[in-house]
Amino acid sequence: MLLLKNISLPLASFALEVNAEIHGRITAVFGPSGAGKTTLLDLISGLRRPKSALIQLDDRILTDTSRRIFVPARLRGIGYVPQDLALFPHLSVRQNLLYGQKMDRGARPAITFERVLEVLEIGSLVARHVSDLSGGEKQRVAVARALLSSPHLLLMDEPLANLDLPLRKRIIPYLLRVRDEFQTPMLYVTHDRFEALALADEMIVLVAGKVAQAGAVHDLFSRPVSLDVAGVLAVETMVRASVIKTEHGLTTVEAGPVYLTAVDQDLPPNTREVYACIRAENVILFKGPDTSTSARNHLPGTIRSLEPDGPLVRVELDCGFPLRALLTRRSCEDMDLKPADSVTAQVKAQHVHLIGR
Amino acid sequence: MSAEEWQIIRFTAWVSALSTLVILPFGLGTAWLLARRNWPGKSLVETLITLPLVMPPVATGLVLLDLLGKRQGVGGFLHREFGFDIIFTWRAVLAALCVMSFPLLVRSVRMAFEGVNPRLEQIARTLGAGEARVFFTISVPLALPGIVGGMLLAFARALGEFGATVMVAGSIPGKTMTISLAIFQSVQDFQDTTAWRLLGVSVVLAFIAVWTSEWVIRRKRTPQ
Repeated sequence: MLLLKNISLPLASFALEVNAEIHGRITAVFGPSGAGKTTLLDLISGLRRPKSALIQLDDRILTDTSRRIFVPARLRGIGYVPQDLALFPHLSVRQNLLYGQKMDRGARPAITFERVLEVLEIGSLVARHVSDLSGGEKQRVAVARALLSSPHLLLMDEPLANLDLPLRKRIIPYLLRVRDEFQTPMLYVTHDRFEALALADEMIVLVAGKVAQAGAVHDLFSRPVSLDVAGVLAVETMVRASVIKTEHGLTTVEAGPVYLTAVDQDLPPNTREVYACIRAENVILFKGPDTSTSARNHLPGTIRSLEPDGPLVRVELDCGFPLRALLTRRSCEDMDLKPADSVTAQVKAQHVHLIGR
Repeated sequence: MSAEEWQIIRFTAWVSALSTLVILPFGLGTAWLLARRNWPGKSLVETLITLPLVMPPVATGLVLLDLLGKRQGVGGFLHREFGFDIIFTWRAVLAALCVMSFPLLVRSVRMAFEGVNPRLEQIARTLGAGEARVFFTISVPLALPGIVGGMLLAFARALGEFGATVMVAGSIPGKTMTISLAIFQSVQDFQDTTAWRLLGVSVVLAFIAVWTSEWVIRRKRTPQ
């Protein structure tokens, strides 16, 4: 368990102020650029000193400004994979890997040189020089080097940010194997939704230095508490709406000319004005006559644009308000979707999330 | 070339090399402190270190003469307590060369340390390395071209030193006479041939030192 209590550090444009208790095996720290994510990792690893903080890893206090405790970085037992990986350019891969390896006390028996090489499949790279590695190889070597110092916590700062999407997808299983094999909890900074969903079980959303929301990853993505969080998590459709009625556990809201039905979400009593949030992947499109399905919301509209995104296509619709849908390229071709086509969008009531405003 | 001239060349090369080695540990330490740490009085120390580079060498020599002379300062203490003399001995030459070449070494090495990505040093710390290990296994190897370049520049500066040396060490043949002093003395004595021969030697030595220094620094900039 990592306890971050009353962390405070003034930065150029805002103050980093964090309170959080982290239990997850992999916890994502999610937030836009400049939200203070890297600074938070620097404070946890002991590379920077906070103005005030209590940082505790399991039963060990690492920083406690009130008692003037500050364990230096080298004694914290926290592995750090920074964004630029920071592999030592003058050393071979083997020398990099052995730099922090614990031989005696403090070494965790499960983390042996051979086992780490095997799990990350880098055995064939050890004799090479760092400059001869590809992006994905460097990535795995950096993770292995941090692991070999037998850390009690592994910090990763957007480690896949510099890799292209296919390579990122190939690295993720390695990180999952590291998680399962070595039982080292990880704090994983990212602003990529795909990485957060694929890797993390818990998540903290950091906006302008403050924890805007924390909880299980899936909850956060489907139930952002504020417009800030919804924006950071890139919920595609956010439309202003007014609550009309709430009955039988369903809330009906009016969004422009259309009505939307949402599962009642314990909005504060008497909330009238809300944002209705809909994720693009939860929108189903029909062409031709509207088909009867279990979805509560049937929204006739016109296609405004289609934008290919890898194997997917982002579709922008006008349903009286702008609605975004995410379809596979194949579906788009099968349905022969073109701009100006009339379609019906269907959204289940539990996929319409209401945020009070 | 006469035996006397060879002695002057050997002495100059030897005392210049020794001065470079003597200032190396202090130069590394000072450059690292200037590049990596903020401390009170830092800008004052920076200025003091640079002074010998811009002050008339004779003026620096005068300060040294005062400090190292037999009557007062460090020199007075050593003379009284241990009967150990600096002034007008080869040690005075060494002291003058050290002071005059120190700023050049510090400037080069400081730039080299500043060129090392601080993230690499930080990550080494998270891997359990203490400050000394980080310094010797990360900072110094990565700054090595700049350090070697700085040493060669300092060596070249020492080879040509005149003003400060003549003040504290005089120009005693066979004892404190360096190439620069010998050239001056030869011209005074109308021995132009000797002066030109020694000039040729000093050009060759300085050329080798500066050219090697440039080569070492350039090699660092070329990506591997």
